[in-house]
Amino acid sequence: MDPLRQDEFDSQACGSIAPKAKPCPRPKPGEAVGGCSFDGAQITLLPIMDAAHLVHGPIACAGNSWESRGTLSSGPSLSQYGFATDLTDSDIIFGGEKKLKDSIDYIAGRFAPPAIFVYSTCVTALTGEDMDAVCKEAADRIGIPVIPVNSPGFVGSKNLGNRLAGDALLQYVIGTGEPEPETDLGVNLIGEYNIAGEMWDIEKLMNSAGIAVTSRITGDARYKEITWAHRARVNMVVCSRALLGLAKEMESRYGIPYFEGSFYGAKETTYSLRQMAYLMNDREMERRVDRLTEREEARLGQELRPYRKLLRGKRAVLYTGGVKSWSVISALKELGVQVVGVGTNKSTEDDVRRIADRVGDDTEYIPEGGASRIIKTVRERKADIMIAGGRNMYVAMKEQIPFIDINQERHKAYAGYEGLLRLAKELTYSLANPIWKLAASPAPWDKEAPPYDR
Amino acid sequence: MTVNRRKKPASVNPMKIGQSLGAVLALQGCYRAMPLIHGSQGCSAFPKALLTRHFREPIAVQTSALQEMDVIFDANRNLEEALNLVLSKHRPDIIGIIGTELTDVAGVDYQNMLKSYKRERNLRGGLAFSVVLPDFRGSLESGFSSTVEAMIDEMIQQVGHRGQRSVNARQITLLPGSFLTPADVMELKEIISSFGFEVIALPDISTSLSGHLLTGFSPLTRGGVPLDSMLQSLQSGLTIAVGGSMERPARRLHNAIGTPYKVFEGAMGLKATDELLHFLHQISGEPVPLRYCWQRENLLDGMLDAHFQFAGMSVVAALEPDHLHSVSGWLEELGVEQKALITSFETPLIAGMKREVWVGDLDDAEVLGKGADLWISNSHGIAGAQRTGAAFMPAGFPVWNELGAYMSVSVGYRGAMEWSNKAGNLFMQREAGSRESSVRHR
Repeated sequence: MDPLRQDEFDSQACGSIAPKAKPCPRPKPGEAVGGCSFDGAQITLLPIMDAAHLVHGPIACAGNSWESRGTLSSGPSLSQYGFATDLTDSDIIFGGEKKLKDSIDYIAGRFAPPAIFVYSTCVTALTGEDMDAVCKEAADRIGIPVIPVNSPGFVGSKNLGNRLAGDALLQYVIGTGEPEPETDLGVNLIGEYNIAGEMWDIEKLMNSAGIAVTSRITGDARYKEITWAHRARVNMVVCSRALLGLAKEMESRYGIPYFEGSFYGAKETTYSLRQMAYLMNDREMERRVDRLTEREEARLGQELRPYRKLLRGKRAVLYTGGVKSWSVISALKELGVQVVGVGTNKSTEDDVRRIADRVGDDTEYIPEGGASRIIKTVRERKADIMIAGGRNMYVAMKEQIPFIDINQERHKAYAGYEGLLRLAKELTYSLANPIWKLAASPAPWDKEAPPYDR
Repeated sequence: MTVNRRKKPASVNPMKIGQSLGAVLALQGCYRAMPLIHGSQGCSAFPKALLTRHFREPIAVQTSALQEMDVIFDANRNLEEALNLVLSKHRPDIIGIIGTELTDVAGVDYQNMLKSYKRERNLRGGLAFSVVLPDFRGSLESGFSSTVEAMIDEMIQQVGHRGQRSVNARQITLLPGSFLTPADVMELKEIISSFGFEVIALPDISTSLSGHLLTGFSPLTRGGVPLDSMLQSLQSGLTIAVGGSMERPARRLHNAIGTPYKVFEGAMGLKATDELLHFLHQISGEPVPLRYCWQRENLLDGMLDAHFQFAGMSVVAALEPDHLHSVSGWLEELGVEQKALITSFETPLIAGMKREVWVGDLDDAEVLGKGADLWISNSHGIAGAQRTGAAFMPAGFPVWNELGAYMSVSVGYRGAMEWSNKAGNLFMQREAGSRESSVRHR
């Protein structure tokens, strides 16, 4: 289908609409960690739960990646299906466009989704298939949007993929629909993916303050609600690195003001709710938010008391990406946990500035990956706990370091006031577990000599 | 008998996994190894995440991190850079360069590049090899066996061809297939060594992915067969391959240095285990150890106890080829109906099966296995099993909804008993569940 608006997209290196001082750096061969752009595009779009997501390429891109995110759905589950064109040798030689077309028809006929997202992969990008044309033709024929997502793995990092997915939304989805008449217009949540159901905690809070969610971009989203995102009154960017460009573009196109915020920690949560009410320009709402946040913070303070006592003075190394690098620092600070090391490899300059605002001078910045580097920081800074993503979880276990999973595979929701309480509990459980003592003491017959050298 | 395919253009809920993941898995079974995937970042990030999730262990793997321009101009520059870094920083004993669909379609010749790299740097003392594994062919199983084959090739190259062999008749090289868990490999090693043989497993995930805290974290693999044992294995008097896919590496050893080999298509269930033990008894002249005689009795008694549960039940199984073949043999012994057997790609073993097999995906399992009481597949099958109302038994790769799946035993009498009990228990729970709901309705 035709891009609905043929606006100019900037040709910035990273595809970001907002120029960034530091475009995505080239990953270092032999030391690169993290996913590719294809991965990033999926992260952003897969939470559109009722759409079909078709990967156009050989099997591994889909086969190795489907069902790998902890993003939850309150209803439809089509996006949890793994769809792939599964190209074979002969498809590569003779071209996979026919197979793509047939696959789209098949999915549309059998599952009747409101839209189909089609992802290009390295191979189909390399062989020069005209995916956009196939999608356009298919959309015209079957009468539902078929959206090409041009984010093959080799164009760059995961973050770039997030942005390219954002571009696809801008180009093909946002602005193509109108809200139902009774819809109460309010805030778009951008870059909140409903990991472990965090979105639901946030929505509950917003509803208590009388703030409506217009479109969820994209945690637990339905395709239709994103088509009318341009009618929202405020955009909140929850994950800035990924989709800030989307918010900026929506500001210039539709005049929707935006702000960057987070829901990790009570203070950040309160700030975000206040910002929403302020930008909605609704005094009554602002008063409601004030009452709500005061009440919630007081209640939380009570409930946190026993945990704060146990957590005070504990030291943590935080290794995560983007917005979480600074927002989780705030949450930890509120619990009395000191962040002594923080990863910055996926952070923007703005993020780094925000980190600096929140931590002391003796915090070590870990600019790039390598599990060994994180462990070194934990040891040198005498940290009590490591907070990172699932990929580093078992690294910590091997070194017998208490660990909390903060990334997309996790099963615990840490957003909002409820989330902070949950985080406090998890930290306490983790630190207090008897395993640390058991694992550190040698077998009785090894007591004389250390059983192994380190 | 027949291998079928359902006609549909797209793969829906794929069970097939890229070959390169199989290669990474194989290299985890070698000590101080580093698999290096020649492709874009995701080609290594996805397998790493998936293997980590299944084994609950850190996984050693690196990437040449190709970007668009690298592919167009000179992909091997990245590979060289990656090699330099990995070699200087980690000093691995073994390095496996794994080509992907990306390098394959782009026509990158990294094999010759590796050769000249080794010559120029005077790379000796370690094992460096490459293997071509685009994922538009085969699956995890073929990637695994091709990598073992490439590894063996390189070992033979290094040690030199026939003539220098001093055969050790009491030493056996075990080539365990990709469908075996670390605990399975451990069990096989134990069974074979209980007949008085030295066993060198190649690769040996039983000491690397079975979980241990001994050495802390390392960016390289922290267990598995060490390089000197690998080279030592060339002196073995016999190769035992488990799984049809491992026949090719076994044949390679035979052709190059003359090691005789015996292929066991599987080692699951009564008959398969009987066959293995009988063979070991014959070649060693040793009696079958008492504990296996005892385990055999345990198994038979257990199967008798369980047969009430299995009567009239039907099963759908979706697994990699060798695994499916094994599991189908075990199901045969339980006397359950095999409603549908689905696998990821066609192999000679599958083509030779007496039963009808479908090459396809988990969606095919849902359609063809409709009405089955038990569903056996990797964790991706949970939703499909729920939709069809079957009890779900995780098996194969990846399994993430169960702790310790990688330590479950399927081989030997012990394994058959463990699986029979597991399946029987699922039927019992299901029966109890349906009884409860029928009471409530009244």
